[in-house]
Amino acid sequence: MSLYVYLYGMIPAPGNGNHPISSLKGIDNEHEIQIKNYEGISAVFCHVDESEYGEKVLQEKTNDMEWVQEKAFHHHEILMKIRENATLIPMKFCTIYQSEKNLEDMVNQHHDQMKALIDQLEGKEEWNLKVYCDREQLTQSVADHNLNIKEKKDEIAQMSKGRQYLESRKLDQYVQQEADKEQEAFGSALHDQLIKYSVEDTVKKNWNRDVTGKDEEMCWNSAYLVPLEQVENFLEIITNENEKHKDSGWILEATGPWPPYHFAKLNEK
Amino acid sequence: MSIEHPTQSSSIVDVLETVLDKGVVIAGDIRVGLADVELLTIKIRLIVASVDKAKEIGMDWWETDPYLNSKAAEQNTKQLEEENKELQKRIEQLEKNAGQSNRFV
Repeated sequence: MSLYVYLYGMIPAPGNGNHPISSLKGIDNEHEIQIKNYEGISAVFCHVDESEYGEKVLQEKTNDMEWVQEKAFHHHEILMKIRENATLIPMKFCTIYQSEKNLEDMVNQHHDQMKALIDQLEGKEEWNLKVYCDREQLTQSVADHNLNIKEKKDEIAQMSKGRQYLESRKLDQYVQQEADKEQEAFGSALHDQLIKYSVEDTVKKNWNRDVTGKDEEMCWNSAYLVPLEQVENFLEIITNENEKHKDSGWILEATGPWPPYHFAKLNEK
Repeated sequence: MSIEHPTQSSSIVDVLETVLDKGVVIAGDIRVGLADVELLTIKIRLIVASVDKAKEIGMDWWETDPYLNSKAAEQNTKQLEEENKELQKRIEQLEKNAGQSNRFV
C-alpha cells in the first residue's frame, strides 16, 4: 500500500531550530505533519494512506458531512497554527499528491512564483467582514424617512379603495427596492473606508439565511489583505461603525486574522 | 493587534465557506469533487446545530483552538448566556425547518 502526500501549504524555509508544527498529527490522525525544504521554501504536509485518500474513496467521503466538517476544520486549524509563526501560502482543502516526488515536481515548477508570493504576503493578514442587517427595522426606517414614499402614502390615502390596494402593493415593492439600495450603499461605503488600509480586497457573495442561520440578513461579505501596521486602523473603523449603527439594525462582524485564503493565488502553467 | 477590538470568533459558516471554497488551487494528483459549498455548509450547519450532537462527533474544535480559545476566555457569563439563548433559538428554527432539510439529504 503506498503513501500519498497531503499538502497544507508552503512557507519560507525555516532557519536553524525548530519549526512551528513539530509533532502534530496530520489529517488522518495518524501520520505526523512534516516539513520539507526546497531551496528557500518549504512544504508542510503529512503522509496519508492511499486506501483512505485515493480518488474513489475521497469521492465517497466528501459525501459524508461529518467527515467533511471534521477534516475541513482540521485543515483550517493546522493552517492557523502555521500562520502564527510563518508567512503561509494556504492550499485548498484536499490537495493531495501520489508521492513526494510528484510534490517536488509541482514545487519545482512553481518555485519562483511561490517565493514571490510569500514575499508579497509577508507582514500582512487576511481579515473578513460580514455585515448583517435587521431587514424589518431597515424597511421600517426607509418607509418612515424616505420623502418619496411619504408623499406617495399621502397620495394613496386620497384614492378610492380599489386603487388604494393596488397602489399600496406597488408602494410596498418600492420600499423593498429602496431598502435593497440602502443595504448595498451601506456595505460599499464601509468597504470604501476599509480599502484605504488594505492592499488587496475582494467582495464576495452574500449568503442567505439557510446558510448563516441568522435572523438578520447578510448584506455585505468581503475579505481584505491588511498590512500588520494597518490592522489597528482597519479594525477601529469597524468598531466605530458598529457602535454608530447598532441601534439602526446593522451588525458588522470582522473575523481574523485568517490564513490568506483569498489572496494567495498562483497561475497554473 | 486584535486584542483591543472586539471581533467575533469565526463561526462554523465562516470557516466552511472559506476552507472549502478558497486557498490556492493547484493541480494535485487526486481530484476531489466537493459539491456546492453553500449546500455543504447548510447540511453541516444542520448537523452541528445541536451542541450535544456536536460534542458527540468531536466538533468541539473551538475548545481546543488556541486562538479561538483565548477569545472564549474573554467572554463573560452574560455573553455565554446570550449565546445559549441564541442557540436555543436556532435549534427551534432548525426544527421548524426540518421538513425542508430533507431536500438536501
